[in-house]
Amino acid sequence: MTATLTPPQEQKPAAAAPATKPKVPFKHRLNRFDVKASPYFYIAPFFILFGLVGLFPLGYTFVVSLNKWNLLTGPGGFVGLANYGAELTDPFFWNSLFNTVSIFLLSAIPQLVIAVLIAAVLDQNIRNKTFWRMSVLIPYVVTPVAVTLIFSSAFDEKYGAINNLLQFFHLNPVMWKTETFPSHVAIATMVNWRWTGYNALILLAAMQAVPRDIYESAALDGAGAIRRFFSMTLPSIRPTMIFVIVTATVGGLQIFTEPKLFNPTTATPGGPQRQYQTTVLYLWDLAFNRQNFGKASAVAWMLFLIIVLFGVLNFVIGRRIASTEARSSKRKTAKVLAAYNTQKIDNEAAGALALTAAAEEKRS
Amino acid sequence: MKISRRTKGAAALAGVAAFALLATGCSSGGSSASSTGNSTDPITLSVTTFGTMGYDDLYKQYEQLHPNITINATNIDTGDNAKTDWQTKEAAGAGLPDVQAVEEGWLSAVMQVSDQFNDLSQYGANDIKDRWVPWKLAQATDAKGRIIGYGSDIGPEGLCYNSKDFAAAGLPTDRDQVAALFGGDNATWADYFKIGAQYKAATGKAFYDQSGFIWNAMVNQLKEGYYKTDGSLNVDGNAQLEALWTQLASATSSGLSANQTAWDWGKGKAFTDGSFSTFVCPGWMLGVVKGQVTSAGGDATSGWDFANVFPGGAANWGGSFLTVPTQSKHPQEAADLAAFLTNAQSQAAAFGVAGTFPSVTAAQTDPAVTGTNALSTFFNNAPIGTILAARAKNVVAQYKGPDDSVIQSQVFGPAIQEIDSGKADGPTAWNDAITLLNQLVVNK
Repeated sequence: MTATLTPPQEQKPAAAAPATKPKVPFKHRLNRFDVKASPYFYIAPFFILFGLVGLFPLGYTFVVSLNKWNLLTGPGGFVGLANYGAELTDPFFWNSLFNTVSIFLLSAIPQLVIAVLIAAVLDQNIRNKTFWRMSVLIPYVVTPVAVTLIFSSAFDEKYGAINNLLQFFHLNPVMWKTETFPSHVAIATMVNWRWTGYNALILLAAMQAVPRDIYESAALDGAGAIRRFFSMTLPSIRPTMIFVIVTATVGGLQIFTEPKLFNPTTATPGGPQRQYQTTVLYLWDLAFNRQNFGKASAVAWMLFLIIVLFGVLNFVIGRRIASTEARSSKRKTAKVLAAYNTQKIDNEAAGALALTAAAEEKRS
Repeated sequence: MKISRRTKGAAALAGVAAFALLATGCSSGGSSASSTGNSTDPITLSVTTFGTMGYDDLYKQYEQLHPNITINATNIDTGDNAKTDWQTKEAAGAGLPDVQAVEEGWLSAVMQVSDQFNDLSQYGANDIKDRWVPWKLAQATDAKGRIIGYGSDIGPEGLCYNSKDFAAAGLPTDRDQVAALFGGDNATWADYFKIGAQYKAATGKAFYDQSGFIWNAMVNQLKEGYYKTDGSLNVDGNAQLEALWTQLASATSSGLSANQTAWDWGKGKAFTDGSFSTFVCPGWMLGVVKGQVTSAGGDATSGWDFANVFPGGAANWGGSFLTVPTQSKHPQEAADLAAFLTNAQSQAAAFGVAGTFPSVTAAQTDPAVTGTNALSTFFNNAPIGTILAARAKNVVAQYKGPDDSVIQSQVFGPAIQEIDSGKADGPTAWNDAITLLNQLVVNK
C-alpha cells in the first residue's frame, strides 16, 4: 500500500507577496483578539482565585518558616533554615509523622479493599440499585464532626459502648484513647466509615464502564465469577484505582478533624502523651497553643513536600503497573506468536517429511 | 454551535466584570468613617463573649438606655475556642470586636500584646476602679500600669461533695460539719488526702475525679507559681512545687483518683454513679456540675452539696475580663458598654442567670447573689453566694508568665495523666514533666 496519510503540501503562490500589507479592518482585528485572548479570560477567575488562596499562602508560609515568628507578637528575625533543622531533630515531629503514616496505612488499605468489594457487589444485578448505592454514600454526607462525636463516645474507655460490650463478654477493656495502637485503630475506623462508601461509588462507576460483552464471552469460555473479577474487572479499573489511591493518600496524610475531636478535652491535642497526634494536628498545636508560627510553617512545608513525594511515588508506581501490563502483554503476544511460528515450522517440516515419505511410498 | 456577536461581547464583558470583582473583593472593608464623639450618632458595637456570661438581657437594657447604640453580640461556645478566635484575628490585625471578653487562663497571652488593647484609664477607668476586688484589677493591669480590662466574674474555689456518698462512708453530711471536718479556715491538703484515705477504706471508691483540678488549685494557691514575679521560670528545682507533686502523686497512687476524663466525665455519668465524692468547685463550676448531673439524668436528689472550705486556703480559678481592642473604632462607647456590663447591678443579674460570681464587691452582698436561685436549690439549698463571698477573701493574684497555660496543659497535663492511669509513679512523672518543660518551653 502506498497511499500517503499526509495531505499534499499547499502550493506556495508563485507571485511574490505584495509589498504593502493589506489594511485589516478594526472589526477583524478585534475578532482575532477575541478568538485568541478570550479563552484566557474565561479561565482567569480560577487562576486568580488559586493564586490568591493557594499559591500566595504557600509562598507566604515559606517566608514565615524562615523567620522566628510568634503568632501574636509577629516576626522576630530571620533564622534561615533553623526552624527546619529544629523540627527535624524534634521527637514530637517524628512522633507525629509516625502517627500519620500508621493511621494512614490502617485506614487506606482496609478502606480500598472493602470499597472494591462493595463496588463489586453493587455492580451485580441487584434489586433497588439506587437505594443500595445511596446507602453507601450516607456516611460521607454526615459531617465529620458528628461522626467523631458519635465514635468518640462509643470508644470511651470507661462508659463507651464498645468497652461495655467487651466487658459483657468478660474481655479486658481496651484503652482506646490513651494507648497508641488502639487509638490509631479507633481513628482509622472513623476515617474508613466516612470514606469507604465514597470510594466504592467511584470504583463502581469505573466497573460499570467495563463492556459487558467481554464478561459474556469470558463466561462462555468457562471463566467463573471470581476468575472474571480478578482477571478482568480489576485490570480494567486500574486507572480509577490509581486515582482513588492518590486521593486517599493526600487525604490520609492530612487527617485533622478525627484526632482533634476524638478526645477534645485532653490537655495535649492528640492524646495525653501525643499517642495519636498527627502532623497537621501537631502543626496546629505549634501555631495556636505554643504560638510558634515559624516552626509551624516549617512543619507545614515539610508536610507539603512529603505529600508531593507520596504523590510522585504513587504516580511512578501507577505508571509502572500500567507499563508492565503493556510490556507483559506484549511479551505474552510475542511468546504466543513465537510458539505459533515454531509450531508452524514444525508443522511445515512435518508436512514436508510426510510429503517426502508419501513420495517415497509412491516410488516404492 | 454558532455564537452570535452579541453573546460574545456579553461573555467578554462578564469575564472582565468577574476579574474586576475579584480584584476589588480583596480590598473591601475599612471604608466606614470613624466616629468622632457625637453621642447621638447611630453606632453599632460588636461584642464577643464565650460560654455562659448571662449578658443577653443586659444588652437589651443598654440599647434602651442608649437609643443610638445597637449591640451586635457573638457568643462562642467555649473559652478555648474564643482564645483561638481572638488569636487568629489578633495575628491577622483585623476582625476584632469593640468589646472582647478574655478569660483568665489566656490573660498571659493577652498581656504579651497588651499594647493592642486600649488603656481604659483614658476612658473613665479611674473613676470606677474601686468597684472591683483589688486583685482582679491588678490582674487586668499590664506591666506599664495600663488598665486593659474590666473584671466580670471571678472563680473563688469551694468544695463540692456528695452527701449521700459521705453518709455511706460514715462521714458527716451537713455542710458546716463537712467544712469543720476538712479543717475550716486551716484546711490543708494533708487533711484532705487523709479524709480521702478514710473514705476509700470505708467504701472502696475514689475520692476525687482526677488529679488535674487538684494540681491546678495547688499551684494557684502558691505565692509564685510556674513563674517567679520577675518573670523567670520557677519549675525545675522548685522544692515547694515538687513536694506538692509528691503529695498528690502518692494520694493518687493509693487509689483516691477516679482517673476520669475531665470535661467529659462519661457525659456526666461519673457524677451520678458514685465514681468520686468530692470535686473542686470555683463559682462557675457549680453550673457545670448541675449540667453534668442533669445530662446524666440526675437532679437535686443526686446528693451534691457545697461546703465553705477549701484545702490549702483561699484559691481562685478562672474568671473573665472585658477588654477594648485598639482595632475598635468607638473606644469610648465600647468602654462605656464594658463599664455598664461590669457594674454591680449587671453582675448581680448575670449571677442569677449564669452563676458567674461577681468581681465587684458591692455585687457580692447583693440580695440577688446571696439569695436562693435555681442553682442553690440544686445544691441542697446551700447559700452559694454567701459561701463564695467567704471563699473570695484572701485570694491573691499570682503572676502568670507567657507560657503559663502551655506548662499547665502540655507539661503537667501528660504527667498528671501518667499518675492517674498508673503508667508512672510520682518521681518518674515529675522527671517526665521536666523533660517536657525543657523541650517545650526552655528550648522553644
